[in-house]
Amino acid sequence: MTRTQVRAWFLVHRWTSLVCTVFLLVVCVTGLPLIFGDEIDHWLDGDPPYANLPNDAPRASLDELVAIGRRLHPGEIATSLFIDDDEPQVVLSMAPSWEALRNDPASERWIKFDGRTARLLKQSLPQAERRRGFIDVMLTLHRELFVGLPGELFLGGMGLLFVAAIVSGTALYAPFMRKQAFGTVRRQRSTRLRWLDLHNLLGVVTLAWGLAIGATGVMNELSQPLFALWNRTEVQALLDPWRHQAPAAQGELSSVQAAFEAAGRVLPGMRVVSVVFPGADDGSPYHYLFWAKGGTPLTGRLFTPVLVDARSGKLTGAVRMPWYLRALEVSRPLHFGDYGGLPLKIIWALLDLATIAVLGSGLYLWLSRRKSPVEALIAEIERGGAEPAAAAPEAAE
Amino acid sequence: MIPVRDDRRHRGFVGMWGWPLSLAALSLFGLLSALLGQGGVWWLLSWIALAVPLIVILRCILRASG
Repeated sequence: MTRTQVRAWFLVHRWTSLVCTVFLLVVCVTGLPLIFGDEIDHWLDGDPPYANLPNDAPRASLDELVAIGRRLHPGEIATSLFIDDDEPQVVLSMAPSWEALRNDPASERWIKFDGRTARLLKQSLPQAERRRGFIDVMLTLHRELFVGLPGELFLGGMGLLFVAAIVSGTALYAPFMRKQAFGTVRRQRSTRLRWLDLHNLLGVVTLAWGLAIGATGVMNELSQPLFALWNRTEVQALLDPWRHQAPAAQGELSSVQAAFEAAGRVLPGMRVVSVVFPGADDGSPYHYLFWAKGGTPLTGRLFTPVLVDARSGKLTGAVRMPWYLRALEVSRPLHFGDYGGLPLKIIWALLDLATIAVLGSGLYLWLSRRKSPVEALIAEIERGGAEPAAAAPEAAE
Repeated sequence: MIPVRDDRRHRGFVGMWGWPLSLAALSLFGLLSALLGQGGVWWLLSWIALAVPLIVILRCILRASG
């Protein structure tokens, strides 16, 4: 590598890292508890237990659950149902109206049922008494820094810089390691040299995982715009034949249980896990929108939407998902690390800690020599961190 | 463009990139095996493949302090 190239890579590495490091530290630290989010939520929630029933116990009708919700909260609308395939729970979401929900997403409430006995297990607190849970706070910080979509796009940009920093850092690994054996950590010479060696070692060893987590993180931050794009193009085109109708009101809906069964029949081998009621921004004004998923680790992450006419109860059909949403769905598990049991989560956490060490050591390396001229730092990389000799050959170049 | 001075003690491509590329390939395998395989042995292989980079880090640090 020529000195000009080393200099270019060094400048790219320095500036991409400097801009993203503080935000990446926030993301890595908040990401740590999120890896175990399910476990922590379970441990904190203290919900009443499910009825002790055999695995094949029949499920309560979804119509009955919605009716219970309406009796409890007269005048409110049902917005969605989540039919868990892990636990026997069904969660009904309700809101004062679609308009109210649009203006204030927190106006939505949820009611958790035992899906077999239709027993109410737990309800969300009234809006004024709600406190954000620990995992919720971590997730919001991790995803959007509490500023919504702009925060998501901003952190997506930071993720891109992180990927650029990994690539440029890998390019600098070559001149730095010219004379060192892999894995050298020189402890005796100076604190800076020790951290420089550790920064290189940890960075290059976690290279593939870091790139994967960075790229899939960027992809996840684009989730809102990508779903909006799909809704505005393909979904809207699909809904054209219904445009002459008025949106379906809650009072004129057909049985959601019958629609649920119709949706399940069209996708054999898949399980319907949620339904969005007509009128939602991310649904159709005329249809129940069901989401079904497959049964293997991979297809269990690939969701297929199915539309059922909410007035007539007639099946409209499954909707093809565009490639960019498929890519988004595959990038979720690869980012969350939740697809290989607890051992994979522990490995995820350790790799996250290693990444924090790379970020922290990088910050230290910058702080401890931030006044040094760029040429001196490039020379340090080319010498592999060694002290300059009295008559350094580099000086002649 | 000034070429960095030639040095006989330079390590070749394999000497330089052998470890990093092997660890990257192993990580990639680990990332995908639990996702594409159907549980069981694929999970185990995934844990082993992704744990190797961590063990390498630990060994290098221990060796340096030993």
